[in-house]
Amino acid sequence: MDFYQAGLFCTLVCVAISFIALFRERDDIHKILVVDLVETTGLVLICLVATDLAEALILPGLVVGISELLMLAELYIRKEKLPLPSFKPIKIEVMRTAPPIISFVLVVYGIILSGFSGGAVAGIGLVFYFLCKGYEERFELLETVSGYAWALWIAAFFIFMILPQAWLIAVMLSGGAILVKVTTKMALIGTMREGHNV
Amino acid sequence: MFNLPIEGEELFALEFGDIVNYFSLYTTTLFLFATAFIIIAIIARPERQTDIVFGTDAVYTKEINQDNLRFQRFMAIACGLATLGAVSSGDLFNFSLFTALIGITNIGIVAGVNNRYVLNAAYNYGIVAMVATTFLFGGASIALGTCGTLSIWELAGKGLVPLAAKMFLVLGVMGEGMAPFYIAKAEITRAPGAPYVLMIHVSSLLIFLRVIEIILTV
Amino acid sequence: MIRHIGKGFRIFSNWMSTYENLVAVYAALGIIVAVCGILMVPMLSYHEDQLYPKTMNRASTLDPYDRGGVPFTRAEIKAQYLDNSPTAGYVTTYLTPLSWFLANTTPYIGTTIVAHPGGIIDEILYNTRGLDTVVETSILFAAFAIASFLFRRKD
Repeated sequence: MDFYQAGLFCTLVCVAISFIALFRERDDIHKILVVDLVETTGLVLICLVATDLAEALILPGLVVGISELLMLAELYIRKEKLPLPSFKPIKIEVMRTAPPIISFVLVVYGIILSGFSGGAVAGIGLVFYFLCKGYEERFELLETVSGYAWALWIAAFFIFMILPQAWLIAVMLSGGAILVKVTTKMALIGTMREGHNV
Repeated sequence: MFNLPIEGEELFALEFGDIVNYFSLYTTTLFLFATAFIIIAIIARPERQTDIVFGTDAVYTKEINQDNLRFQRFMAIACGLATLGAVSSGDLFNFSLFTALIGITNIGIVAGVNNRYVLNAAYNYGIVAMVATTFLFGGASIALGTCGTLSIWELAGKGLVPLAAKMFLVLGVMGEGMAPFYIAKAEITRAPGAPYVLMIHVSSLLIFLRVIEIILTV
Repeated sequence: MIRHIGKGFRIFSNWMSTYENLVAVYAALGIIVAVCGILMVPMLSYHEDQLYPKTMNRASTLDPYDRGGVPFTRAEIKAQYLDNSPTAGYVTTYLTPLSWFLANTTPYIGTTIVAHPGGIIDEILYNTRGLDTVVETSILFAAFAIASFLFRRKD
């Protein structure tokens, strides 16, 4: 039995255990949590191959899990007709004065970093800004921006396939697209407060 | 691989780097079928369901929200495009990604409906579709680990892919396409918007035909 | 006896036809297949000749992600169909000016290398297996569209 088989054995045991958990679970909201557990074991199965290719394949796998989670959570809220929490915003001096500066620094730093984690840093900046300042109808704007990021990505893909000489442009396009994409996804969190009560 | 009985002749190969899509006689048939349904979804107006008021002769037509209709059509077309990708893909992992996309867009088709039963069924289906990605990716990665490649061109006809990976792939497609358990599916098709909702059936039928072709080929 | 079997069967078919139990039905199938997989583990031996093998160079400043080669030259990578991507290997060696600077001055760039454009992961994700990434982004886009559609509805 080599290392791969030992790892595979353990992972499949984990898969079986997590499915037993899913089998016994009755509550809708807890099902989502257990589903996350199941998905992680799927990623471990990819990890076991232990090549650069496997490392690259984990990213799509992870994204699929996260995006389905996003959608299902929203579907759950809609299904149960849960109201949005309405509460008075906290009145703190810092929350009114600091956002422009801190957000600006974070966004610029994120753009310098570029790529995936750059998007996350810039996104945190925007989350902070939207949370403190509050914007109405930013949701649709973010959706449009993420649409453009998607289009950029497709363009980069076709440059790679049709004009391989221009690989540098394509890498930059993809890097820019992932930056914008991750930023908009993160900034979304800041806008989930329905404008008026901010 | 094109001498195998199930594939038929090679018609066309589309090269995207490591992922080489292929159009054999079999996959081209599936491709054309999916294309026909996309065209139907684009040109057709949705059916208007009628409700009978209990105890009287009154019959009224359900109003379909314009926003909802446009969203459903968008999702149905996206689902059709994902089906096109899945039936022509020449790579196991790429196939499983396309199948996952089909699962998500299927839920999107019915997500806008304001009916508790439909949403409940869609939610349960969504959980199954999400869990099924474990098996899809697991099947593809076990094939990668034991054969060293994901390309169907390399694997075809050699019978190298272990039975476990094939079982995983089939179970994954069962989850995404929702095929043998029609319980939630019947519930889902109560949603208004007939040609778009039918895309759920068409896509699951086509990915099933495709996964059968894959497990018989590799 | 037969009556008992019939009763059990009726309960089972009732259970099967309730869509709240759908997840449980699938989970039961999942358990069965996972157990089959466990039994088949002895037959699944690792194929040593893998694509894109992982190499480690502990001395490099780019440590976990050192991919060899100097920027704007071509690195040797083991892709499936090298003929289809004639420039495969250039992205692998590419470093942005900032990461080039960090790589030459500090030994810590390896920990954030995936944050910068370029490298073997980007080569695989964007170039040789670009279609995977296109599908992945489409999945995210579709899920995002659904979530925001549900969120924006007022009724």
